Amino acid sequence: MTGDRDAGDDPDDGTARPRLAELRETETVYQPAEDSRLLADAVVETVDAGDRLLDVGTGSGYVAARAREAGAHVVGADLNPHACRQAAAAGVPVVRADLTTAFRAGAFDLVAFNPPYLPTAPEAEWADWMERALSGGEDGRAAIEPFLDDTARVLAPGGAAFLLVSTLTDPEAVREYAAARGLSATEVAGESHPFERLLVVRFTSAGD
Amino acid sequence: MKEDLMDIICCPVDKHELELDVEERDDEEIMEGTLTCTECGEVYPIEDGIPNLLPPDMREEAPA
Repeated sequence: MTGDRDAGDDPDDGTARPRLAELRETETVYQPAEDSRLLADAVVETVDAGDRLLDVGTGSGYVAARAREAGAHVVGADLNPHACRQAAAAGVPVVRADLTTAFRAGAFDLVAFNPPYLPTAPEAEWADWMERALSGGEDGRAAIEPFLDDTARVLAPGGAAFLLVSTLTDPEAVREYAAARGLSATEVAGESHPFERLLVVRFTSAGD
Repeated sequence: MKEDLMDIICCPVDKHELELDVEERDDEEIMEGTLTCTECGEVYPIEDGIPNLLPPDMREEAPA
Protein backbone atom coordinates (compact mmCIF):
# COMPACT_ATOMS: atom_id res chain seq x y z
CA MET A 1 0.00 0.00 0.00
CA THR A 2 1.40 3.41 -0.97
CA GLY A 3 0.90 6.89 0.40
CA ASP A 4 -0.75 8.38 -2.69
CA ARG A 5 -4.26 7.25 -1.95
CA ASP A 6 -5.63 10.54 -0.63
CA ALA A 7 -4.37 12.63 -3.56
CA GLY A 8 -7.47 14.21 -5.05
CA ASP A 9 -9.80 11.58 -3.61
CA ASP A 10 -13.14 12.47 -2.17
CA PRO A 11 -13.04 10.65 1.17
CA ASP A 12 -16.76 9.87 0.92
CA ASP A 13 -16.54 8.35 -2.53
CA GLY A 14 -16.22 4.62 -2.00
CA THR A 15 -16.70 3.72 -5.67
CA ALA A 16 -13.36 4.71 -7.20
CA ARG A 17 -11.21 2.30 -5.20
CA PRO A 18 -11.96 -0.86 -3.27
CA ARG A 19 -12.89 -0.11 0.30
CA LEU A 20 -10.05 -0.79 2.70
CA ALA A 21 -12.05 -3.55 4.39
CA GLU A 22 -12.60 -5.32 1.07
CA LEU A 23 -8.96 -4.96 0.17
CA ARG A 24 -7.97 -6.41 3.50
CA GLU A 25 -10.27 -9.43 3.05
CA THR A 26 -8.73 -10.15 -0.36
CA GLU A 27 -5.28 -10.08 1.18
CA THR A 28 -6.15 -12.32 4.11
CA VAL A 29 -8.34 -14.95 2.41
CA TYR A 30 -7.08 -17.52 -0.09
CA GLN A 31 -8.83 -16.92 -3.41
CA PRO A 32 -9.92 -19.79 -5.68
CA ALA A 33 -7.06 -21.24 -7.73
CA GLU A 34 -6.41 -24.39 -9.78
CA ASP A 35 -6.52 -26.58 -6.66
CA SER A 36 -9.91 -25.16 -5.64
CA ARG A 37 -11.30 -25.79 -9.11
CA LEU A 38 -9.99 -29.36 -9.30
CA LEU A 39 -11.57 -30.16 -5.93
CA ALA A 40 -14.87 -28.43 -6.79
CA ASP A 41 -15.10 -30.27 -10.13
CA ALA A 42 -14.60 -33.64 -8.39
CA VAL A 43 -17.18 -32.79 -5.73
CA VAL A 44 -19.75 -31.55 -8.24
CA GLU A 45 -19.34 -34.75 -10.23
CA THR A 46 -20.22 -36.83 -7.17
CA VAL A 47 -22.78 -34.76 -5.33
CA ASP A 48 -26.46 -35.63 -5.48
CA ALA A 49 -29.22 -33.08 -4.94
CA GLY A 50 -30.02 -32.98 -1.24
CA ASP A 51 -26.62 -34.27 -0.07
CA ARG A 52 -25.32 -32.57 3.05
CA LEU A 53 -21.81 -31.24 2.44
CA LEU A 54 -19.25 -29.67 4.76
CA ASP A 55 -16.55 -27.57 3.09
CA VAL A 56 -13.61 -27.47 5.53
CA GLY A 57 -11.33 -24.44 5.17
CA THR A 58 -13.93 -22.89 2.92
CA GLY A 59 -11.93 -19.67 2.40
CA SER A 60 -13.81 -17.57 -0.13
CA GLY A 61 -16.62 -20.17 -0.13
CA TYR A 62 -15.85 -21.26 -3.69
CA VAL A 63 -16.11 -25.06 -3.34
CA ALA A 64 -19.20 -24.77 -1.12
CA ALA A 65 -20.91 -22.45 -3.59
CA ARG A 66 -20.16 -24.83 -6.50
CA ALA A 67 -21.62 -27.76 -4.52
CA ARG A 68 -24.68 -25.70 -3.64
CA GLU A 69 -25.26 -24.97 -7.34
CA ALA A 70 -25.22 -28.75 -7.82
CA GLY A 71 -28.05 -29.08 -5.30
CA ALA A 72 -26.22 -29.88 -2.06
CA HIS A 73 -27.08 -28.45 1.34
CA VAL A 74 -23.74 -26.86 2.20
CA VAL A 75 -22.01 -25.53 5.28
CA GLY A 76 -18.56 -23.97 5.28
CA ALA A 77 -16.06 -23.96 8.15
CA ASP A 78 -12.93 -21.87 8.50
CA LEU A 79 -10.48 -20.80 11.21
CA ASN A 80 -10.00 -17.41 9.62
CA PRO A 81 -12.60 -14.78 10.59
CA HIS A 82 -12.02 -12.89 7.31
CA ALA A 83 -12.72 -16.08 5.35
CA CYS A 84 -15.88 -16.67 7.38
CA ARG A 85 -17.14 -13.21 6.47
CA GLN A 86 -16.24 -13.64 2.81
CA ALA A 87 -17.93 -17.05 2.54
CA ALA A 88 -21.01 -15.70 4.33
CA ALA A 89 -21.14 -12.80 1.86
CA ALA A 90 -21.11 -15.41 -0.94
CA GLY A 91 -24.25 -16.88 0.63
CA VAL A 92 -22.58 -19.91 2.24
CA PRO A 93 -23.77 -20.74 5.77
CA VAL A 94 -20.55 -20.64 7.72
CA VAL A 95 -19.18 -21.64 11.11
CA ARG A 96 -15.87 -20.46 12.51
CA ALA A 97 -14.38 -23.79 13.49
CA ASP A 98 -11.25 -25.93 13.58
CA LEU A 99 -11.60 -28.56 10.82
CA THR A 100 -14.59 -30.86 11.54
CA THR A 101 -14.42 -30.62 15.35
CA ALA A 102 -17.59 -28.52 15.86
CA PHE A 103 -19.92 -30.80 13.87
CA ARG A 104 -22.05 -33.71 15.00
CA ALA A 105 -21.33 -37.35 14.33
CA GLY A 106 -22.86 -38.56 11.07
CA ALA A 107 -24.02 -35.07 10.01
CA PHE A 108 -22.67 -35.12 6.42
CA ASP A 109 -22.79 -37.18 3.24
CA LEU A 110 -19.72 -35.40 1.89
CA VAL A 111 -16.81 -33.50 3.37
CA ALA A 112 -14.44 -31.49 1.14
CA PHE A 113 -11.09 -30.03 2.20
CA ASN A 114 -8.54 -28.05 0.22
CA PRO A 115 -5.93 -27.85 2.97
CA PRO A 116 -2.97 -25.58 3.50
CA TYR A 117 -0.25 -27.89 2.22
CA LEU A 118 2.92 -26.04 1.24
CA PRO A 119 5.88 -27.44 3.21
CA THR A 120 7.19 -24.52 5.25
CA ALA A 121 10.09 -23.97 7.64
CA PRO A 122 8.85 -23.56 11.23
CA GLU A 123 10.15 -20.00 11.62
CA ALA A 124 8.21 -18.85 8.55
CA GLU A 125 4.90 -20.28 9.65
CA TRP A 126 1.57 -18.75 10.56
CA ALA A 127 2.68 -15.14 10.77
CA ASP A 128 -0.59 -14.03 9.21
CA TRP A 129 -3.87 -15.43 7.92
CA MET A 130 -2.66 -15.93 4.35
CA GLU A 131 0.38 -17.85 5.55
CA ARG A 132 -2.02 -19.93 7.62
CA ALA A 133 -4.08 -20.67 4.49
CA LEU A 134 -1.01 -21.90 2.61
CA SER A 135 1.41 -23.47 5.06
CA GLY A 136 1.17 -27.14 5.90
CA GLY A 137 4.08 -27.22 8.34
CA GLU A 138 7.45 -28.87 7.70
CA ASP A 139 6.03 -31.91 5.85
CA GLY A 140 2.99 -30.14 4.41
CA ARG A 141 0.64 -32.41 6.37
CA ALA A 142 0.10 -30.36 9.57
CA ALA A 143 -3.58 -29.74 8.74
CA ILE A 144 -4.18 -32.93 6.75
CA GLU A 145 -3.42 -35.34 9.60
CA PRO A 146 -5.79 -33.87 12.22
CA PHE A 147 -8.41 -33.68 9.45
CA LEU A 148 -8.02 -37.41 8.79
CA ASP A 149 -8.23 -38.09 12.55
CA ASP A 150 -11.78 -36.70 12.82
CA THR A 151 -13.43 -36.72 9.38
CA ALA A 152 -14.91 -40.24 9.60
CA ARG A 153 -16.79 -39.19 12.75
CA VAL A 154 -18.87 -36.55 10.93
CA LEU A 155 -19.65 -38.74 7.90
CA ALA A 156 -22.97 -40.52 7.62
CA PRO A 157 -22.85 -44.22 6.69
CA GLY A 158 -21.74 -44.45 3.05
CA GLY A 159 -20.35 -40.91 3.17
CA ALA A 160 -17.05 -39.78 1.66
CA ALA A 161 -14.38 -37.16 2.27
CA PHE A 162 -12.67 -35.43 -0.68
CA LEU A 163 -9.17 -34.12 0.03
CA LEU A 164 -6.93 -32.13 -2.28
CA VAL A 165 -3.41 -33.60 -2.06
CA SER A 166 -0.27 -32.29 -3.78
CA THR A 167 2.76 -34.38 -4.67
CA LEU A 168 4.63 -31.84 -2.47
CA THR A 169 3.08 -33.41 0.61
CA ASP A 170 3.82 -37.08 -0.18
CA PRO A 171 0.44 -38.59 -1.16
CA GLU A 172 1.66 -42.06 -0.17
CA ALA A 173 2.28 -40.85 3.42
CA VAL A 174 -1.23 -39.34 3.44
CA ARG A 175 -2.69 -42.62 2.22
CA GLU A 176 -0.82 -44.63 4.89
CA TYR A 177 -1.88 -42.23 7.64
CA ALA A 178 -5.51 -42.57 6.53
CA ALA A 179 -5.31 -46.38 6.22
CA ALA A 180 -4.08 -46.57 9.84
CA ARG A 181 -7.32 -44.79 10.80
CA GLY A 182 -9.58 -47.15 8.87
CA LEU A 183 -9.99 -44.94 5.79
CA SER A 184 -9.51 -46.31 2.29
CA ALA A 185 -8.35 -43.94 -0.42
CA THR A 186 -9.20 -43.68 -4.12
CA GLU A 187 -7.70 -41.11 -6.48
CA VAL A 188 -10.59 -39.50 -8.35
CA ALA A 189 -8.88 -36.62 -10.18
CA GLY A 190 -5.41 -35.41 -11.04
CA GLU A 191 -3.78 -32.48 -12.80
CA SER A 192 -0.11 -31.72 -13.44
CA HIS A 193 1.40 -28.29 -12.83
CA PRO A 194 4.99 -27.05 -13.21
CA PHE A 195 6.19 -27.94 -9.69
CA GLU A 196 3.62 -30.41 -8.45
CA ARG A 197 0.83 -32.73 -9.40
CA LEU A 198 -2.52 -32.07 -7.73
CA LEU A 199 -4.73 -35.01 -6.81
CA VAL A 200 -8.21 -35.31 -5.39
CA VAL A 201 -8.39 -38.32 -3.10
CA ARG A 202 -11.70 -39.75 -1.95
CA PHE A 203 -11.69 -41.37 1.50
CA THR A 204 -14.34 -43.73 2.80
CA SER A 205 -14.55 -45.70 6.00
CA ALA A 206 -13.13 -49.13 5.18
CA GLY A 207 -16.27 -50.75 6.61
CA ASP A 208 -18.67 -48.92 4.26
CA MET B 1 -26.70 -18.29 11.15
CA LYS B 2 -30.04 -19.95 10.61
CA GLU B 3 -31.62 -22.00 13.34
CA ASP B 4 -31.44 -25.27 11.35
CA LEU B 5 -27.65 -25.18 11.80
CA MET B 6 -28.36 -26.36 15.36
CA ASP B 7 -29.02 -29.86 13.93
CA ILE B 8 -25.40 -30.31 12.80
CA ILE B 9 -23.21 -28.35 15.22
CA CYS B 10 -21.95 -29.45 18.63
CA CYS B 11 -19.49 -28.42 21.32
CA PRO B 12 -16.02 -28.82 19.76
CA VAL B 13 -14.59 -29.99 23.08
CA ASP B 14 -16.97 -32.74 24.27
CA LYS B 15 -19.35 -33.07 21.26
CA HIS B 16 -22.47 -32.47 23.34
CA GLU B 17 -25.48 -30.46 22.19
CA LEU B 18 -25.54 -26.68 22.34
CA GLU B 19 -28.27 -24.43 23.66
CA LEU B 20 -29.08 -21.36 21.59
CA ASP B 21 -29.75 -17.93 23.10
CA VAL B 22 -30.74 -15.31 20.56
CA GLU B 23 -29.95 -11.65 21.26
CA GLU B 24 -30.64 -10.24 17.80
CA ARG B 25 -32.48 -11.68 14.83
CA ASP B 26 -32.83 -10.41 11.26
CA ASP B 27 -35.68 -12.37 9.69
CA GLU B 28 -34.51 -16.00 9.80
CA GLU B 29 -30.90 -15.04 10.41
CA ILE B 30 -29.60 -15.07 14.00
CA MET B 31 -27.15 -12.17 14.08
CA GLU B 32 -26.07 -12.02 17.72
CA GLY B 33 -26.35 -14.51 20.54
CA THR B 34 -24.63 -17.38 22.28
CA LEU B 35 -24.35 -21.15 22.06
CA THR B 36 -23.83 -22.86 25.42
CA CYS B 37 -22.72 -26.46 25.81
CA THR B 38 -25.34 -28.42 27.73
CA GLU B 39 -22.58 -30.57 29.25
CA CYS B 40 -19.48 -28.47 30.01
CA GLY B 41 -21.17 -25.05 30.05
CA GLU B 42 -18.66 -23.44 27.65
CA VAL B 43 -20.21 -20.40 25.96
CA TYR B 44 -19.59 -19.79 22.24
CA PRO B 45 -20.47 -16.39 20.73
CA ILE B 46 -22.50 -15.68 17.60
CA GLU B 47 -21.25 -12.40 16.12
CA ASP B 48 -22.39 -10.75 12.89
CA GLY B 49 -24.36 -13.90 12.13
CA ILE B 50 -21.34 -16.21 12.40
CA PRO B 51 -21.07 -18.72 15.26
CA ASN B 52 -17.55 -19.01 16.66
CA LEU B 53 -17.12 -22.66 17.60
CA LEU B 54 -13.36 -22.63 17.93
CA PRO B 55 -12.31 -24.50 21.07
CA PRO B 56 -11.59 -21.97 23.86
CA ASP B 57 -7.81 -22.45 23.63
CA MET B 58 -7.86 -21.40 19.95
CA ARG B 59 -10.31 -18.53 20.25
CA GLU B 60 -7.78 -15.86 21.19
CA GLU B 61 -5.33 -16.96 18.54
CA ALA B 62 -5.37 -14.20 15.92
CA PRO B 63 -2.65 -13.81 13.31
CA ALA B 64 -2.48 -10.31 11.83
